[in-house]
Amino acid sequence: MMRTGTFATIAVLLGAAGFLLPQVVANPYYFYAGYVVLQYIVIATGWNILGGYAGYINFGTSAFFGAGVYTSAYLMQAFEAPLVVQIVAAALVGVALGVATGYLTLRIQGVYFSIATLALVVVLETVVHNTEALGGASGLTTIGPPPPAWFKGQTQYVFCVMLVLALLAVVIARWIETSWLGRGFRAIRASEPAAESCGVPTLRMKLIACAISGGIIAAAGAPYPSYAYHVEPVSAFGLLIALNALAMPLIGGTRSWMGPVIGAVLLGTIQQVATVTISSEYNILAVGLLLIAFVVAAPEGLLGLLSAVRGGVRWSAKPARKPA
Amino acid sequence: MKINRREFAVLGAGVSAGLAMPAIWTGARAQGQPIRVGCSVSLTGALASTKNSLIGYELWRDDVNAAGGLLGRKVELVVYDDQSSPAAVPGIYSKLVDVDKVDLLFSPYGANLTATVMPLAKQRDRIIIGILTLASNDRLKHDKFFQAAPWGPNGAEDWARGFFDLAIANKLQRIAIIAADTEFSKTAAAGGKRVSEAAGLKVVMNQVYPPTLNDFSAILRNLKAAEPEAVFLCSYPPDSTAMVRGLSEIGVGESVKLFGGGMVGPQYASLLQTLGPALNGIVNFHLYVPEPTLKFQGIEGFLTRYQAIAKERQVDPLGFYIPPFCYAAGQMLSEAVKATGTLEEAKLAQWLHGNPVETIVGKIAFNELGDWTERRVLMAQFRNIAGNDLEQFRQAGKQVVLDPPALKSGDLVPFAKARA
Repeated sequence: MMRTGTFATIAVLLGAAGFLLPQVVANPYYFYAGYVVLQYIVIATGWNILGGYAGYINFGTSAFFGAGVYTSAYLMQAFEAPLVVQIVAAALVGVALGVATGYLTLRIQGVYFSIATLALVVVLETVVHNTEALGGASGLTTIGPPPPAWFKGQTQYVFCVMLVLALLAVVIARWIETSWLGRGFRAIRASEPAAESCGVPTLRMKLIACAISGGIIAAAGAPYPSYAYHVEPVSAFGLLIALNALAMPLIGGTRSWMGPVIGAVLLGTIQQVATVTISSEYNILAVGLLLIAFVVAAPEGLLGLLSAVRGGVRWSAKPARKPA
Repeated sequence: MKINRREFAVLGAGVSAGLAMPAIWTGARAQGQPIRVGCSVSLTGALASTKNSLIGYELWRDDVNAAGGLLGRKVELVVYDDQSSPAAVPGIYSKLVDVDKVDLLFSPYGANLTATVMPLAKQRDRIIIGILTLASNDRLKHDKFFQAAPWGPNGAEDWARGFFDLAIANKLQRIAIIAADTEFSKTAAAGGKRVSEAAGLKVVMNQVYPPTLNDFSAILRNLKAAEPEAVFLCSYPPDSTAMVRGLSEIGVGESVKLFGGGMVGPQYASLLQTLGPALNGIVNFHLYVPEPTLKFQGIEGFLTRYQAIAKERQVDPLGFYIPPFCYAAGQMLSEAVKATGTLEEAKLAQWLHGNPVETIVGKIAFNELGDWTERRVLMAQFRNIAGNDLEQFRQAGKQVVLDPPALKSGDLVPFAKARA
């Protein structure tokens, strides 16, 4: 595990570098592409708290992301709320949704929990389709006020905002990993009955995992209306978001905060490059092939593979286990 | 080391030439470089059926290049797949503008995808041709947006108005409005209701159904009981198919003289072939049909060439709905460039606002929002469809134009009579 001082220094340096980037890089395209990669770092990190640490596979990531997108879009439309308020509100909605979903579904386990999370996407998408205030099927056009002059453009601004969110998500994930929460999640993942018998309050722990995970993923959706200027249900609740949220931690490694970051940077970059070079239809194919390759050859993700290659030198203090 | 005046002059000239070379080289290169026109096309995803738009662009490019190009330069297309995802569009258009440095832009297909690129077009002050988008410029009011589709002014509400005008012209008094529960359908239905009520028609049924509905038997039975004379249906391909099949199985009652209006689906060959004679009598919107009143300059040659390519690429074999309008979008740009002799977008936009353009889909004039000044959405009635042979849809008389009056190729035959 990286030392806290080193971690903090790197995080601060990355944040500072990101805020200086608009002064150095003139071409907005790199910020468009970078925004998407950063967005996936937040989503994958959020997913990993429930899916990786606690071992509860969530197929409904796009429901949380979409809830964040629409909370933000609605606040922008109805109250002209600033982006910070939109993000905080989206995160709170995500937390509430996480707790509600968790309470209703966490008594079921394994594949049944995963199927229940899928239903959440359908429910929320149907609600949006039938709510006039949210624009229905045609969506909402979301043009906010101009960004602060320092950022030199809206895309640069939302890129920096997403960078801050990514750093915050990683800080939270790292803290969880090393705290009593992380130990509780790992106990649940290893064996829920055993954890319960040892005094781990499993239901409460799972609710906390759902809430934090939901809050982070929803916060990732909040800047989207400012990025795309238009939100509609098909994109907000898209399959690719759920697929990437699952694939990125699996490819990077689910045991450490670094796994989702590596997976998101790797897969997100491949997808961005594929979109404007080979063909977009190879995006999903690339995700699928990489997933198959990693499930077969490196079930512990890139970090696990690296540990194996190094012959036992681990990134985290935890012993490598087979996936649940 | 000492250098004399002559050596200094030679050295100075050399350094100056070296420094100036990139600019000279770039300038010369730009003169000889092709004019780049960029867009995204939905090659994959839910809107992949619209990928035949690419053939329209390619044929326009080929024709322009065969005629010597524009301003002495070849035209080159830069196209990316947007996966039918609005989320992918802002990045793609930034790539087109900021990295590929395209000279001119077409929008993606449809309103939802175009909505994500309009703010970028306005911020960068770029000219952009809208590809079958609806009301995409109503809010931003970008003065360099031009619409390639004939929805006309106030298109969101009035694109299907021809159907209601037909009901009024044929003195039909009782109207039923049935729309899928989506914004596109509901807005058109609301516009139709407003027009009907203003004309004194009685709306005897006004129903919205969930977009996932595939059994219309209950709606058809309610329709029979309401005894409307005109039924306006605004539906998407799966529900259009289910409704047409329901018409054959259950019927809609003898009172109905006019049926259809806003059904998405029967514009495409696959549905025409599948539904065949079950379509007889339905009056539905279209953008082009091979009627004698729509023999615009170049359209037949375009369709002949399109259909040969479409067969090879296994896309819509008729190509009446989208590709001619993509070709026309290109013509709008090329005519403006030829007339102004420049690629300066302000001058191109000014010219397009002030001058009508002759295209393969007719003469187009634009209003201040870039929409066509006249709505030219066709209301065409399916007639004498026999069997499921696709070839018959290439002939005149199978989709008779009833509205707009200027392009009319026949009169309304009452629904039941046309199906007999």
